[in-house]
Amino acid sequence: MKQQVKRHWGLWLTIIVVVLGLIGVGLTRWDAPLYQQTVAKVTQVHAINRNSSTDEFQNKDVTYQQAVTVRVLNHRHQGQTYQIRNTYTKSGAMDQAYRVGDQVFVRVPATKSSSVTIQGLKRDTALAFVAWLALALLLLIMRFSGLMALLSVTLNAVLFYGAIQLDLMTNGGHLYSLFGVLAVIFAVLTLWLVQGFSRQMLVTLGATVAGTGIAVIISLIVFAVTHERGVTYEAMQYVTQVPRPLFLVETVLGSLGAVMDESTDIVASLFQLKQERPDIAPNQVFRSGLQIGHSIMGPLINVLFLIFMADTFAMTLLYLRNGNNWGYTFSMNMSLGMVQSLISGIGIVLAIPVASWLASRLLPGQEAAV
Amino acid sequence: MSTITVLGLVLFVLMTIIGGKTGATAFLSLIFNFGLLFLAVVLISWGFPAMGVSLVIGTIILAFTIFFGEDNELAAKTAYIAALIVMVALILVIFPVEHWIMAQGFSLEDSEDLEGMSLTIGVSFVGVAVTEAILSTLGAIAEASIAIAAGLSEIIEQYPHVTTARLYIDGISIGKQIIGTTFNTLFFGFFGGFLALFIWFSGLHYSFGSVINNKIFVAEVLMVLFSLIGVILTVPVTTWVMTLEHRHTAKQQD
Repeated sequence: MKQQVKRHWGLWLTIIVVVLGLIGVGLTRWDAPLYQQTVAKVTQVHAINRNSSTDEFQNKDVTYQQAVTVRVLNHRHQGQTYQIRNTYTKSGAMDQAYRVGDQVFVRVPATKSSSVTIQGLKRDTALAFVAWLALALLLLIMRFSGLMALLSVTLNAVLFYGAIQLDLMTNGGHLYSLFGVLAVIFAVLTLWLVQGFSRQMLVTLGATVAGTGIAVIISLIVFAVTHERGVTYEAMQYVTQVPRPLFLVETVLGSLGAVMDESTDIVASLFQLKQERPDIAPNQVFRSGLQIGHSIMGPLINVLFLIFMADTFAMTLLYLRNGNNWGYTFSMNMSLGMVQSLISGIGIVLAIPVASWLASRLLPGQEAAV
Repeated sequence: MSTITVLGLVLFVLMTIIGGKTGATAFLSLIFNFGLLFLAVVLISWGFPAMGVSLVIGTIILAFTIFFGEDNELAAKTAYIAALIVMVALILVIFPVEHWIMAQGFSLEDSEDLEGMSLTIGVSFVGVAVTEAILSTLGAIAEASIAIAAGLSEIIEQYPHVTTARLYIDGISIGKQIIGTTFNTLFFGFFGGFLALFIWFSGLHYSFGSVINNKIFVAEVLMVLFSLIGVILTVPVTTWVMTLEHRHTAKQQD
């Protein structure tokens, strides 16, 4: 009976949190005063004209012009309305049509001579809605475990932010040591939150660090032997520091979560195995670990591969439609993602024997036998 | 030889040594998936609708990832059906959201890379954004559905007369175990890869407000969130499909 009351409480609390969250999402429609930029709401839109165009590669597109009437929602020009001419294309690579009800950032120049321009769409409401959807589902289906997962991701995000600030303060000079240490802290913190501080957690940590470390060493050897042929660092996006170290750090961080995921699975299963059959021999434990690893590694490598590659889609498409051949398009857009996937893959595969071996030698009860 | 070839060879050898036949087939599925991804871009660039391409290619990618990685027939079949259901459910979320949030194509931060390119290529970039989002979630969905289906099929093997209600509780509890680590895989997978962008934002002192409305940032966070939603949905859906399968086989045996 008491248990039932408690369970009802949990459910009600979850529902209250979810509903409050939805109200919060709705409130972002009225958060304009919080922005430094000038925010305006689109009140009227009408089409002016359309032009068909054909570029030098025979791509046919349509360019539209629309007159957008906006009413400013915050700061100095609050309440004033402006009519702005917006040009957009059917494909919408860099531009977009605006619809009545959209909130946008506008720039109102100090002098009357230049015109008001739209800087971009205000996307916070939509983003908050999707975040709310994910969190609501998480809480409703997973309850407390969902909260812990969320906490670990939040803490990692804070650390990540701190490390970036440090990196900027040192101007990228200590990138390797900074993010190397960060990677270890990430691993310790995450595993500690998931498993608590225990022998099992230490074994998992060891496997994660060793697996990733060996993968990096192997990759560096391959880089040296092949003189990094076909690794197009110059194609890296958004680079403001030396690209090569940045790329390696990105790769290590990118694969870290997956390697932890896998090591956790293997080590946890092996510890459970040992509990069920205390007299099992270390070699048997090692073999069981490999067995578990077999079925995990394929899907896990695919997770990272799809994440790394999907990002490159828009640019790849643009290259293809701009008359570039497949080989050049691949090397300028997909080769870095490919190298990243392969290095991560090597880390994921290597973590299997490392985790199995560590677990087989460091299982509890071993000392008693000696 | 190029670096990619050598790294690929190293990975293949390692997967074969450590994973045996399963490892070799898993490597094969990776190569097929790459081919399929490239095919998807090429098809869209030839003018096929992005939505149709992502549905067809997505269905095939899920099949390769799940059937090449899992030996147990019941688990693989269940995982595949569940993954397909989740994919369709996700498309119903992704499609309207991408049209609402308009975080497609490129942003001012891309200007340098876009120099000399014609942007008026007549392909809807919103459609491309939908494709990107769908394909990036598939790996995580496949992984979660395999983990849960494999766990449940093992329980059914050991206790053939397990009740549906019990199976459901077990499914959710397996889900709770994997959700934390899967979150981390996704978090690091996405954000590790965008270190350069975050350094850009911080270095140029973007305000919090501009970051959360920035096209590229929003597109990236959306992909993480869609993957999370996919993984969370996978837990009950896979369990549900497994209970259906279980009831079906139980009836046949009677």
